[in-house]
Amino acid sequence: MQPFDHVSATSAAAAVELLQQGGPSGARVIAGGTDLISLMRDRIQSPRLLVNILPAAAALRYLRFEADGALRVGALATLADIERDPHIAARLPILTQAVRDAATPQLRAMATAAGNLMQRPRCWYYRGEFPCWLKGGDECFARDGENKYHAIFGASPCVAVHPSDLAPVLVALDAELTIAGPGGSARTLPVERFFAPPTDDERIEYRLQPGEVVSEIRVPAQPAGARGAYVKVMDRQAWAFALVSVAAQLSERDGVVERARLALGGVANVPWRVAAVEDLLTGQRLTPALAAQAAERALENAHPLTHNGYKVPMARAAIRRALLAAAGQEE
Amino acid sequence: MPVRIITTHLEFEGRVSEQRVVMEGDEPPVWGEDAELRIVGKPTPRVDGRERVTGGATYTYDIQLPGQLTAAALRSPHAHARVTRVDASRAEAMPGVRAVLHRFNAGDLIDPNRDRSVFAEELPYAGAIVALVLADTREQAADACAAVMVEYETLPFVVDPEAALQPEAPRVLSDRPHNKLNDEYPQTYQRGDVDAGIREAEVTVEARFETPAAMHNSMETHGATAQWDGRTLTIYSSTQDIFGVRRAVAKALGLHQNQVRAIKQYMGGGFGSKFGPHESGLLAAYAAHRLGRPVQYMLSREDENVAAGHRSATIQHFRLGAQRDGTLTAIEQRTVGNLGALAGWFPATAMATKELYQCANVRTIDEGARTNLGPFAAFRAPGVVEGIAAMETAVDQLAAALGMDPLELRLKNYAERHQDMQRPYARKLLREAYEIGAERIGWATRDAEARRYPKGRDGTLRRGVGMASQLWGGDGGPPAQAQAKLLPDGTAVIITGTQDIGTGTRTVLAQIAAEELGLPLEAVRVELGDTEFGLYSPPSGGSMTLASMGPAVRMAAAEARKDALEIVGHLVEAPADALDIRDGGIVNRETGREMGTLGSYLEQLDGHEVTAKGMRGPNAENVTVRTFGAQFAEVEVDLGTGQVRVRRIVAVHDCGRIVNPLTFSSQIEGGIIQGLGFALMEQRVVDQRFGTVMNANLEQFHIPTIRDVPEIDIVLLDRPNTYANTLGALGAGEPPIIPTPGAIANAVAHAIGRPVSGLPLTPDRILDLLK
Repeated sequence: MQPFDHVSATSAAAAVELLQQGGPSGARVIAGGTDLISLMRDRIQSPRLLVNILPAAAALRYLRFEADGALRVGALATLADIERDPHIAARLPILTQAVRDAATPQLRAMATAAGNLMQRPRCWYYRGEFPCWLKGGDECFARDGENKYHAIFGASPCVAVHPSDLAPVLVALDAELTIAGPGGSARTLPVERFFAPPTDDERIEYRLQPGEVVSEIRVPAQPAGARGAYVKVMDRQAWAFALVSVAAQLSERDGVVERARLALGGVANVPWRVAAVEDLLTGQRLTPALAAQAAERALENAHPLTHNGYKVPMARAAIRRALLAAAGQEE
Repeated sequence: MPVRIITTHLEFEGRVSEQRVVMEGDEPPVWGEDAELRIVGKPTPRVDGRERVTGGATYTYDIQLPGQLTAAALRSPHAHARVTRVDASRAEAMPGVRAVLHRFNAGDLIDPNRDRSVFAEELPYAGAIVALVLADTREQAADACAAVMVEYETLPFVVDPEAALQPEAPRVLSDRPHNKLNDEYPQTYQRGDVDAGIREAEVTVEARFETPAAMHNSMETHGATAQWDGRTLTIYSSTQDIFGVRRAVAKALGLHQNQVRAIKQYMGGGFGSKFGPHESGLLAAYAAHRLGRPVQYMLSREDENVAAGHRSATIQHFRLGAQRDGTLTAIEQRTVGNLGALAGWFPATAMATKELYQCANVRTIDEGARTNLGPFAAFRAPGVVEGIAAMETAVDQLAAALGMDPLELRLKNYAERHQDMQRPYARKLLREAYEIGAERIGWATRDAEARRYPKGRDGTLRRGVGMASQLWGGDGGPPAQAQAKLLPDGTAVIITGTQDIGTGTRTVLAQIAAEELGLPLEAVRVELGDTEFGLYSPPSGGSMTLASMGPAVRMAAAEARKDALEIVGHLVEAPADALDIRDGGIVNRETGREMGTLGSYLEQLDGHEVTAKGMRGPNAENVTVRTFGAQFAEVEVDLGTGQVRVRRIVAVHDCGRIVNPLTFSSQIEGGIIQGLGFALMEQRVVDQRFGTVMNANLEQFHIPTIRDVPEIDIVLLDRPNTYANTLGALGAGEPPIIPTPGAIANAVAHAIGRPVSGLPLTPDRILDLLK
């Protein structure tokens, strides 16, 4: 591991300040460190300065429902905090489902909500000793290599998938981020737009300006009667990243879908929202046949690689189940 | 004591060897069916359970000696290369770094088990060791590794076993004329005429089955802590064989065996991968000897998974022929094993093929391919797990082709004798295992249940039930020695040179000694795991520890008991054979009169200690001693996602007398869980373009979690096998893993209504089969 300096921030604003001192690329915020430490150990990232934001927990670790029903999640709330919160379990069970199947109890105790959105891909070429494109190299080794766990959607030169369980759910819930920036500035950004496939200029899956710090995740009030479901397909029963995951959020009136959100995990560099299916569902009665049709539509533009064709039927099955579960039609 | 030398035969993981046994005195008579035992056979919690669960147990990693250095290795990134230059000057100047060892300053370290320099010039796989950094801390050592400059000359490589066997394939090791294991390969076994058997068959089945390379992932990685005090090299080694460590370290360092002391007290698993000191132990010993400071070298998880062994991958082709009534007319198995670069032997993939079913025409062809990958190592029933999985799935396919019940087909071809050796089995309870297992899993209604089952959110969950058979040795053998010591207070110490690799050896040996001595369990302490004190004991592998060490301990205890009663007899002026020791007290056999504790007599002798020696006698000749068994699996397959969930396993294994039902059950459960991992998820992934292992870690190489573990229903047969040894007990280490993958594979095939093509049965493989 490269030597680095370590400073503490007691607020988001202080973290912004300290980040600027560290220079544009040499400084990183560290919270739970469940991903960053291993990236540093493996010499994939070697920041010169770590700004420890955990001392800001008094200000940034909270879970609060507003009077209007919106949920505010402090950036430093842990996955375990979300998992154990009885109000979330009652009002936004899709969120509870998403964190319950993430990682292990030990990791959930350390991992923060904001950090979870900024974790880097688990692609074994990225994590291993390959000079891959995402690390600044010329080539994505997975594209023609061992790509069983890789993307079936997207046009980025990188075919890694986003590993987060929380991200697709937040996209399906139309959540927004509050981002603190230099000079006491703050902006809000839909979670969906926070993510962007890596490009030649920005080889990363999310967009933060230099010196910015995520301070809050806000889940807006969901329409009355809205329901969601998160379906995660793993190759064992626990402690695995999703092969495919589906977050479905539906609002129905009189048995007709008024609004639908569908976002997939494990299939692209970013949480993959499927707007075409949302349109297809809107105004319809959700039947098993419609769910199947939606699943077909969602995978229409998939372009699997050599070893991940199985993700297409798997995602179809997961979508059918998530939609039916969201509509309360689980057996 | 008159000495006799007897020639006997020993089977170790399918290979039979001749063995000479030195006997001083006689073993006690066998504990038969009617033996009345107080401690042996009773569920007995581990005598060292408290240390294990409280953190008090000292594992190799926990050994911290004053001034100890820590090591980290730099390993080759190339699948095949020659190291031409090493420049360690920058690394050597880094903080905390005490030495950097490599080919150009430590090329004299020879691994006696491979007869090859540890820092070899030719690096035949990605992960082969290039340099070892010794530093004050692990982090310093790891950082310095990155600063060692190495120049490589890369060489052509091959990692696919079938490609490696082609004449034009690159040479895996450049000094060899071909990539076969050796000139004796391919190796063929045959009896009768397989081609004629296929011709006369009315139904034939051909099946290709592949099994993956699976890494052991013992909780404790390979490694050792070593210390040289100028006189003795002490090595705390994570090993299944302390005497193998002593032998190899003495040879590698040019020391006498009495200058090397190997210690192994607690073990975080080995599963066959830890015979001898391993390269890591040799390096720790060499560095400690050379630098004069204690050295700890424990492999990282990644290094463990590329360089310390795995179950070798196979590609197997089966041909089975049968008459309409199910009578087998031919069995043929062709196996290509992917053995890695530095293999020395071929796993017993054909062991069961030769003898599990009655058939006059059998041929097995083993082809061992060297490839530019890390070396494989024995892994719990090496070869047999893979061979049985392939054969038992082929047998199920034959049953389907015949329209016969798979169990009925197996019973139709039940082998009463050991065909290969043309002699009887000492005992074979396989038929009984089939009956019990079938009853408990609900075999008779499995098709009806499967038809009724489809359910789940969209009706895509299917149920299947399948089974597979188990066959293995496990009768152990000599040489294995033990000593018993009775102390003045009437307590006992049993001293052995065996090691408890986590199976409960310490506990079962204490039970056996307490039983034979007539002492309560608490009055017996077992010492093991130290070559300084224990007499020679065999490696803990091949399911042979209990069946080898147990009888030796029992004989030592019997001798000590005899001697103690002689002494008491003199003191009370009674014939020794009128006396007995029961629960630590002296009793008159005839009258039943209690005469005080054993200690009350021994303490009259001013510190005299009764000592005695015992040894494992020869194996039975002209008969084959085997453990047989069967497992039945119930699975659920999700046709939508391809996920397989094992719901239940019924396990029925005949391992003779069960000395401790608790540790026995632990073995069965552990074997089944490990077998489930092999069946469902474990698979080394290699990028063929670079020869790199992609998942040499516990994140991407998945092993079962507790949530993956099914209900496990263990049936204890618990009947002494009086041919095996004086306990009537056989090993249970390997039997339970043997049938699990085959039983699960057959259950999955039953659920999805089509044959499976290999392991592991991951969602992608299932969805592919369903296409």
